[in-house]
Amino acid sequence: MKRFVLEHDRKKRTAYAQKSSEGLWIHIDGRTRLIPKAEGGRKRASVVKSSNEILAPMPGKIIQVLKKKGDTVLIGEPIVVMEAMKMEYTLKAEIESKVEDIFVGESDQVALGQVLVKLEKPN
Amino acid sequence: MKKIERLAIANRGEVAVRIILAAQELGIETVLLHSEPDRATRAFRMADLTVCIGGASSSESYLNIDSNINGAKSVGADALHPGFGFLSENSDFSKACEENGILFVGPSPEAIQKMGDKITARSLMENAGVPLVPGYDGEDQKLETLKSEANRIGFPLMIKAAAGGGGRGLKVARTLEEFESQLNSAKREGLSAFGSEKIFLEKYVEHSKHIEFQVFGDKKGNYVHLFERECSVQRRHQKIVEESPSPSLNEELREKMAKSAIEAARSVNYTGAGTVEFLLDGENYYFLEMNTRLQVEHPVTEMVLGVDLVKAQIAVAEGRSLPWIQEDLFPRGHSIECRVYAEDPFQNGIPSTGPVLGLHWATGPGRRFEYGFDVGDKVSSFYDSMIAKVIVHSDTRDACIQKCVKTLNDSVVFGVKTNFEYLKSILNHPKFQDGTMTTSFIQDYFSEGLMDSDLSEEELAFVELAQKNLLSMTGSIHSIESPFEKSWRNV
Repeated sequence: MKRFVLEHDRKKRTAYAQKSSEGLWIHIDGRTRLIPKAEGGRKRASVVKSSNEILAPMPGKIIQVLKKKGDTVLIGEPIVVMEAMKMEYTLKAEIESKVEDIFVGESDQVALGQVLVKLEKPN
Repeated sequence: MKKIERLAIANRGEVAVRIILAAQELGIETVLLHSEPDRATRAFRMADLTVCIGGASSSESYLNIDSNINGAKSVGADALHPGFGFLSENSDFSKACEENGILFVGPSPEAIQKMGDKITARSLMENAGVPLVPGYDGEDQKLETLKSEANRIGFPLMIKAAAGGGGRGLKVARTLEEFESQLNSAKREGLSAFGSEKIFLEKYVEHSKHIEFQVFGDKKGNYVHLFERECSVQRRHQKIVEESPSPSLNEELREKMAKSAIEAARSVNYTGAGTVEFLLDGENYYFLEMNTRLQVEHPVTEMVLGVDLVKAQIAVAEGRSLPWIQEDLFPRGHSIECRVYAEDPFQNGIPSTGPVLGLHWATGPGRRFEYGFDVGDKVSSFYDSMIAKVIVHSDTRDACIQKCVKTLNDSVVFGVKTNFEYLKSILNHPKFQDGTMTTSFIQDYFSEGLMDSDLSEEELAFVELAQKNLLSMTGSIHSIESPFEKSWRNV
């Protein structure tokens, strides 16, 4: 981590930056950000998104499946609740579609990147 | 009285560091009982001795009674501190310590057991005259009985596993229609997590506050309370921001609740540090549960009272009297703790793992940082995502909030994402600032997490500057050719 003391208009402030395999970490004006590497680089499994497949972003456990096969879903609608590191989070639909298949049930352990629910491909 | 010479620590992360610091200041040697991957942690480096007790999975290490006992015995530890979480509230564990001649830094197995069974705890509290949430905790667990009791109590209501805790085995039923399915779900969770499907019912008091009292007892029958903490900011029953004193209590109420808390401790001959949790609804308070261990949020109490709860735990375990009398204890100023979770606040709190690449804690007067990792250590998905705590102390609540925001603004964690922005949004929220937040605060105002914003011009400029600078680290920084060089000079 490199510390920068920046000066502008006679006023100083401190900022930090560091490169990593994911991109550039910066901290300035009280906020930390990760600037991902430019497109074209290999993406991490956790950020790969296929809009008609709901993938596990982390290894964890399925808490609840909120939809059934054949249900219609709207953008942003919760589909699966899962738990990892003792925290729950909700996976939502990114497209308006229908549930084509569900591959997991409550209490199932799932691996990173595993397909949990498949939605019909939009036309 | 027995002087502890070598203290085993059956825990990890920031609390292991906290216990090591207290013990070493007392001249006690420390033994960290750790899992295989936890060699790469701050506690491992700080402990005088270390014993690897098993694999990464908690069931093979931190939750395994035999491994912990054998580890402690292998280096002749004469006492053991369980920290919080893991085996800290397991009466079989404290009994096993006792049987193996290891002094357990905590209450007796009986006290842990009685408070651990929430139904037993309720009936003890009833006898001690501590107010209870209206509910049903009978032996008759037939569906018909439970249904009619549910109707009597009224909806919404909570269905809780008798052996539960930490939000597990807890379900809310809003109507009679959903009662049965929620009941079955609570039973299932209770059975899988705690080995018992016994449940009890409690009225669900919405928009209430979470207030808890720190109590302490010694082996001579002395008790004190160390005032309250408010922990109303919770997400799915997990605390995020805690403070002391609570902005919601007047002197009269504080005194009444403190008295109830001490009665609760006395009812099980409690020794050591314990916390009695209450739900506060206007001027009415009800017993929730007693946590028979050190609490994650204990630092806010230490900050306002100028005490060291871990050292007091050790003293009491050794058989000494409490280091304080009630009249000496008087809170000064205000303290807030923020729990730092490794998660992405802009993706609804999805956990973030990986190596910590950079770290800077913005130290200063009245700022305290509890953490269990150094740069290069990994935050892994095997353990809790709470990786650190930021605690501040100031004269008034307003000044304290201000200090807390500034401290978070100036502190840096690179490598894993943290909830810093989430914490600041909470601290800056008017409902938090005026002290009227309830346990539905997060659900009411932050249910969608945070919305990310585009990079500001300043950030974009800095990205450019940093990228060039980091590429040519060997070159003179003043010779950077950047379109921003004229306005920004790296001095």
